[in-house]
Amino acid sequence: MIEFARDTYRYRELIWALALKELRVRYKRSLLGFFWALLNPALLMIVLTLVFGTIMRFSIDHYAVFLLSMLLPWTFFSQAMSYSVDSVVGNGPLLKKIYVAKLVFPVAAIVSNVVNFLLSLIPLALLIVLLRFPLHWTWVYLPVPMLGLFLFTQGAAFFFATANVFYRDVSHIVQILLSAWFYFSPIIYSLDFIPEKYRWLFRLNPMLYVLNGFRLSIYYGQLPSLYSAALSLGCGIAALMIGFSIFRHYQNRFIYYI
Amino acid sequence: MREAAVRVTFDNVVQRFRIIQERPDTLREAFAKFRRRTSYHDFEALKHVSFQVAEGEMVGIIGRNGSGKSTILKIIAGVYIPTSGEVAVNGSIAPLIELGAGFHHELTGRENILLNGLLLGLSKRDVMKRESQIIEFAELGEFIDVPVKQYSSGMYMRLAFAIATEVNPDILLIDEILAVGDGEFRRKCFERIEQFRTLGKTILFVSHDLGSVRQFCDRVLLLHGGELIEDGSTDFVISRYESLLSQHVDSLRTQAW
Repeated sequence: MIEFARDTYRYRELIWALALKELRVRYKRSLLGFFWALLNPALLMIVLTLVFGTIMRFSIDHYAVFLLSMLLPWTFFSQAMSYSVDSVVGNGPLLKKIYVAKLVFPVAAIVSNVVNFLLSLIPLALLIVLLRFPLHWTWVYLPVPMLGLFLFTQGAAFFFATANVFYRDVSHIVQILLSAWFYFSPIIYSLDFIPEKYRWLFRLNPMLYVLNGFRLSIYYGQLPSLYSAALSLGCGIAALMIGFSIFRHYQNRFIYYI
Repeated sequence: MREAAVRVTFDNVVQRFRIIQERPDTLREAFAKFRRRTSYHDFEALKHVSFQVAEGEMVGIIGRNGSGKSTILKIIAGVYIPTSGEVAVNGSIAPLIELGAGFHHELTGRENILLNGLLLGLSKRDVMKRESQIIEFAELGEFIDVPVKQYSSGMYMRLAFAIATEVNPDILLIDEILAVGDGEFRRKCFERIEQFRTLGKTILFVSHDLGSVRQFCDRVLLLHGGELIEDGSTDFVISRYESLLSQHVDSLRTQAW
């Protein structure tokens, strides 16, 4: 953990340059360029709002906001995973030629997606105002669940990037896992919809705690209890510790498999 | 006169690669191979190699293809961690193993200078300080703000060489890169290598071009099948290598008969 913080700090300039490269390449050669980082989530949200606000009606008030408050962090997680699972293998040709600290690639993959995620909060705030939904003051609490989410994603990224070096199926499995995980997490629904006797099963899902703070502060305008905040940060830290120690244990063998 | 510091030490270094006939790359193959063990053999790229290189030396490494020359450079660069033996490297390294390895084609020359400088271990400030010298050496002019995918191969090489040598390392690793590029570019590269020599930098130079090895190197290592078979003065080792080559040609000729 300390080693992770130290190395990330040591290579911060390289990580930032790699993350910027990722973003630049993603938006290069498009007319609107970087503006897509804002436009993309905005368009998605407008579609969802139309679908759930006018066509399909749910018993939940302002279902669009209810959904988006968790869908945006989930989209970050899912995109960051898709990017990072190939981050070591994809840079294999480079790793075979010069010595580069291997951790910079999974970290840069997350950082570039963090930038995208933070940008997507701007259209979300605009949409909420537009829908005449209250923009709760509890938004100021968002950095806490964000930290939990980013740490959790980084830990998962280390784990899957490592696994993918040894078995390339992992990049396919991650896609399937992500879509199953999406429905298993209370994103499009609320945990209250689940019959009492099955709820314990859903409570085993760390994503529940990681995402919980987002909906509480954006949709309900409530501060989570100390217990729930601690759970979300705890999941993040635990995931990072496990993921990074696996990555560190195997990283010297990567070179023979890429 | 003070004793020159030792820059690179190899002590009994073995580098073994496991050549697996069909390495299971996917889970399905891993399951399929689970019962009948995968067939593999160990290939020793380096067999108990020991040598030292001191500060200010320019050492050539010669040998036939597959004799382990590049493996030595990659171990010094930190790409491989040897199977056994001790390696000590004292000083900063610039690997000119494969020029432009870290280039991204969609980025401009200027953006690639920053990215590659950072990959080679410079800080952002250092890269910025050296940017104008790099651009000048690479003779790119206004092309510096064009994506490198539109560069000619000569421009590409010049930029990569300029970045790698502006790092101002203590140890420079050169692997056969000077075989490409036109005469003018080669002349500039050799000029810069000469400059490094006068600054007292340590250079390890892998090449098949015996002419330039003879011209530059004070000392030469001869590798054969992963073993270090000769380590000595340039003229002596090169003549040893030439006789080895002619023996090989002779043996091919007898086989052909």
